[in-house]
Order: sequence, then structure tokens, then C-alpha cells
Amino acid sequence: MNRLLTIAVADTSVIIRNGLVSLLRHLNGIRVQIIDIATADSLHEILTLHKPDILIVNPLLIGYFSLQQMKETCKCLNMKCIALVSTIMDQLLLRQYDEQISLYDTSEDLYKKIERLQALSIEVTVSEEQQSLSAREKEIVICVVKGMTNREIADKLFLSTHTVITHRRNIARKLQIRSASGLTVYAIVNKLVELNDVNL
Amino acid sequence: MYKSGKYRETDKMSDLICDNYPMVLVLNRFGIDLGFGEQSIKDVCLLYDVNLCTFLTVVNFLVEKVSNPVMNIEQDFSLEALISYLHNAHAYFIDFRLPHLREKLVGAIEGCPEDVRIVIIKFFDEYSSEVYKHMSYEETTVFPYVRELLKGDRNSKYSISIFSKRHDQIEMKIVELKNLLIKYYPGPGNHLLNSVLFDLFATEEDLVSHSHVEDFLFIPAIRELEKRGVKI
Repeated sequence: MNRLLTIAVADTSVIIRNGLVSLLRHLNGIRVQIIDIATADSLHEILTLHKPDILIVNPLLIGYFSLQQMKETCKCLNMKCIALVSTIMDQLLLRQYDEQISLYDTSEDLYKKIERLQALSIEVTVSEEQQSLSAREKEIVICVVKGMTNREIADKLFLSTHTVITHRRNIARKLQIRSASGLTVYAIVNKLVELNDVNL
Repeated sequence: MYKSGKYRETDKMSDLICDNYPMVLVLNRFGIDLGFGEQSIKDVCLLYDVNLCTFLTVVNFLVEKVSNPVMNIEQDFSLEALISYLHNAHAYFIDFRLPHLREKLVGAIEGCPEDVRIVIIKFFDEYSSEVYKHMSYEETTVFPYVRELLKGDRNSKYSISIFSKRHDQIEMKIVELKNLLIKYYPGPGNHLLNSVLFDLFATEEDLVSHSHVEDFLFIPAIRELEKRGVKI
């Protein structure tokens, strides 16, 4: 449950937006990164740029345009959409949303709705994200801290350079360490290599 | 930012600092000393001959955590004053913050095996030299360019978009060091190490807001200057 969730909040009212944002930030067990969208004009641009996991939007901002089409043009096909309902609205308009939030929802309601949507979209990735390094990834870390290039690593481990790059990307994501000198610290501390193996 | 911001010239300087302690650093960078008693922001700025508009713009920018380009920069804003602020911030990081942090770090990891100590310090030194490179580029290339612009000299081939494109995030590696210590530090915990961690968190924040001032206040102001070709 502690994966970082990117939520875009789109409404023209700053009072509603900030109120909702403040509730979202204080939901226990959900870590959120909030993107604030104030106008219909900036909606597409911001969605394309940030690709949020969830969009909470005032349906009036979208109108009768198709959400599916919007997801396609912004390339956020997996994004879940929640309607932020503040007035009586045409049910037809609301049907295309994954969930609805009313202005009078409690913070528990909000939590349950987000949790449900999050479970829908993220189940697969959570367990994978939190793993420590695989044996193969450790081998690659060792090569990197010895100062080998991707090409050399590929030749040594009988992999393609493309695969090596994918592994390195996964290592960076799991450890949150990108630099070679950072990986060196990791490798020494975890006794993957000795100091005299390292390319200092 | 100056007239419409959270803090105004009539507010007490001490209130500003007590409500937002990171602003102590801003005072330093504008050359203002502590001990200003009950004086207002305006009076203190007058006393130290600091451009009031620039001071308030920077303060409100930081306090309100602005993270998009500031377009409505007022007439009285002084780019020369902002450059001197940025220059003092660089001097602070390079001459004080990083060397001081290094010294503390060396003491904090004394209980570690030698190989771990060596690679951690090496990591830190690499990081320091990256920060140094990053900042001296601004000192030797960007600031002189802006000073020429301010003098009305537009012959230079340089433009602020070059800077804006190559301006990278210098806080990323300090996040790595923080992660390494938190997740993998092999020695016994100690008070000094905790203090180093607190410093790392604070330095990260400080570097992020420093870059924000450059990206969202400094660069837009220069763009405006380039467009108009006159002093703002």
C-alpha cells in the first residue's frame, strides 16, 4: 500500500481543490503526489506530461467529451477517473467514470474509493517494486562498480546490451541509486565486492 | 510577488524569520545580520542597503513554495541584487555547507569498516566537485553574461536558454547518499550520524529551493530582459 500514487485534481475552484488536496495528503496508508489542475485548457497538457494514476475531475470541465478519447490522446490509458460531483448531474455524463466523489463524502469514504481504484490498477506492480536485487542484478552491480561498460558487461554475461540497460534501469528503480559511485557504496556495504576490485 | 505576496514591507523582520526559519539563510545571502530588534522588513532593508523589492520577491517566492515561472516581476526588482544573492548562496554551499558536512560525516562514520568509510567519503567528494562545477559555471559564464546584458551589451553569442537547458538537478546525488545511509549503513547508530542525516535532508531542501529561485525567478527575468533589451 505504500507505493507513491500520483493523483491529479482538476476543478476550477481553488477552495475545492485545496480542500480535497489537503484531505488526500492526510489519508493514512496512501502516499500521494498531487498535481493541481485549475483550468480545462491545461488539462490535456498536464495529463500528457505527468500521466497520473488517478484523475479526480469536475465533470463539467470535461463536458460530453469522451474520457476514453482523452486518455488516448494523453497516452494515459491506465489512468482511473473519478468524478468530483458538486451539483445535480446528468447520470449519462457520470457513467463513463470509474468512481464518484461527492462534496459531502467523509475522509473514510474518500479512502475506500481510492483504495478500491488503487487495488484495481496497481496490484501487479506493488510486490515487484519492493523486491531486493535478483542474483542477476547483483552480478551487474558488481560489473558496474568494477568500471565495466555496458558492452563489456553484456559480453561477459552473454546478454545483449539492451538487456543490460534494462537491468540497470531496474536496479536504479529498486535501490534509488543511479550513480556508479553510489552503487560502489552499496556493493561494498553489502559485501558484493572487495575494495581492491573497485574502480576508484 | 512583492506587493501581493504573503509578507509585506511593514511586517516585522523577526516575525518573518520566526515563522520560516530557513529564511535565516536568505538574510545571510542578502548580507543582513541578526539583531534587528523590532524593525520592519523595510527598515532593515534600508539599514543594510538591500533592494526591498528583490528581498521581498525572493522571500515570498520561497515562503509560498512557488514552482512555476514568475512572470509578473515588478519594476523595482533588481537583477544585480538577485545575482549577488545567488553568488552568496553559492559561496555558502561551497565554502561552508559542504566542507562542514564532510567533516561531520567523517566523524560520524568512524565506527565503520575502513572500506565502507573510503567509498562513502569518495562518494561525498565526487558530489562536492559536481556541485562546485555546477555553480562555477553559473559564476563564470551566466552571471557575466547577465551583467553585460544589464549594461546594454547584447553582442554576446550566449543566451539564457542555453543555461536553462543545461541546468541540471544538483540535489539528486545527495538523495542517494541519504538513501545509502538510511538503508545500508552498517555501523552502530550514533548521534552525530543522525545529525548528518538531518543536515542532508536540510541541504537537499536548500538546494532544491536554490534551483527553484534560478529556474523560476532568475531565468524568466533574464528572458524578459533579453526580449526587451533594456534594464529591468
